[in-house]
Amino acid sequence: MISYEDQMNIFELIGKAISKDIECYAFGGTAMMFYGYKDETKDIDLLFEDEDLRNEFVEAIKNLGFDETALVNIYIPEKLGDKNAPRMFKRDDSRFDIFLKKIFKTAMSPRMKEDLYAVHDFKGKNNLRVKVLGKEFIVLLKAVTERDRDFEDILTIVKKEKNFDWQYLIDEVLWQYNHGDSWVLLDAEKMIKELKKYIFIEQKYLKELYSAKK
Amino acid sequence: MDKELLLKKLEGLHTLDTVAEAIHIKKQSALNLLSGLKKEGYVTVSGGRQQKRFYKITARKQRKRDKGMFDIINKYSPMKLAPWYDHQVHGHYGPEEALIDAIQTQSFRAILASLRLFNHITDWGKLHRLAKEKGCWQKVGALYDVSRLYFRVRKMPPYKYKAKKWQNLTQLKKLNFPHIAKKWHVYMPFNEKDMGELL
Repeated sequence: MISYEDQMNIFELIGKAISKDIECYAFGGTAMMFYGYKDETKDIDLLFEDEDLRNEFVEAIKNLGFDETALVNIYIPEKLGDKNAPRMFKRDDSRFDIFLKKIFKTAMSPRMKEDLYAVHDFKGKNNLRVKVLGKEFIVLLKAVTERDRDFEDILTIVKKEKNFDWQYLIDEVLWQYNHGDSWVLLDAEKMIKELKKYIFIEQKYLKELYSAKK
Repeated sequence: MDKELLLKKLEGLHTLDTVAEAIHIKKQSALNLLSGLKKEGYVTVSGGRQQKRFYKITARKQRKRDKGMFDIINKYSPMKLAPWYDHQVHGHYGPEEALIDAIQTQSFRAILASLRLFNHITDWGKLHRLAKEKGCWQKVGALYDVSRLYFRVRKMPPYKYKAKKWQNLTQLKKLNFPHIAKKWHVYMPFNEKDMGELL
């Protein structure tokens, strides 16, 4: 497992190792640690928009002792064949899941890029900029990735957040659906139905998803 | 009571009395509870000595912060910004970097507030290098000239420049301060009234 301090140390080391400025987006457990929702994570989830920058980042983590590994047993079989599946790098208990441009079928919407929770700059000779996505996007992407313990993380976020904006999440789901993500409605519906066993969520949000499908 | 429920109930700014009252416990028990939550990272304390102590309680852990662009601008500028994201820099960060970051945001308010940073630039060479790297030296030059019209600013050493094609600071394509805009080929979104916010 990677603790918050480990995560910051790793990013600082990468910031010193890279030979050009790099920007990436953090979601999943990494983003949850930046928020303060939890203290450790199994993996660091990052998304890059530029392949060259992704490759530069991969070189830096390889130099830190991370080796590429297979995705089997981490993601459900339906996701393994996806052309936008991540590259995975492991060292002992620490793991990087590195996505390029899309998280499976889910793209970076303009709102995802604009409504950031935080921006962390790790300065060495060059700058590693980690942009932390907003909480609604973290929940949506956790619903999309469907890994072990993703649902527990979703539950942690919605339980701890007084101001979780469900309408904002549904709007994003619909944007993704209208921009080619054919799975997102099903993933969101499954997540909301499961969450309703633990917390109160208005039925109107599910209705919005159903009406989009028609 | 379950810790999550307790934190949700107490979330916000409290004094010792309000904590004790909210969950119907004695003051000493409230103090012990707050001490435990502080150790776990859910509580930060301000005040003390002659001032009343305030306890900021959150359901999420409160991480130690490093300073970022908004912190530097709010420290030096009379025009304060409400950050729209939490910017933190892990490593050296000063007014030179903050000024360039403010320009990069293309935000009217961030750029306007950052004009006051010119008086705190100590390493002009660094500012010049950073601006060249980001391709915004024209903008820095134009902003410097505007700031000099309104308040005392340290003198910048002369750097060679060649005004290239016109650049926007924000989405507004306005030609305020025309002599400066034309000198640097930079559209200047601020007018004299806006500058009043910095005085």
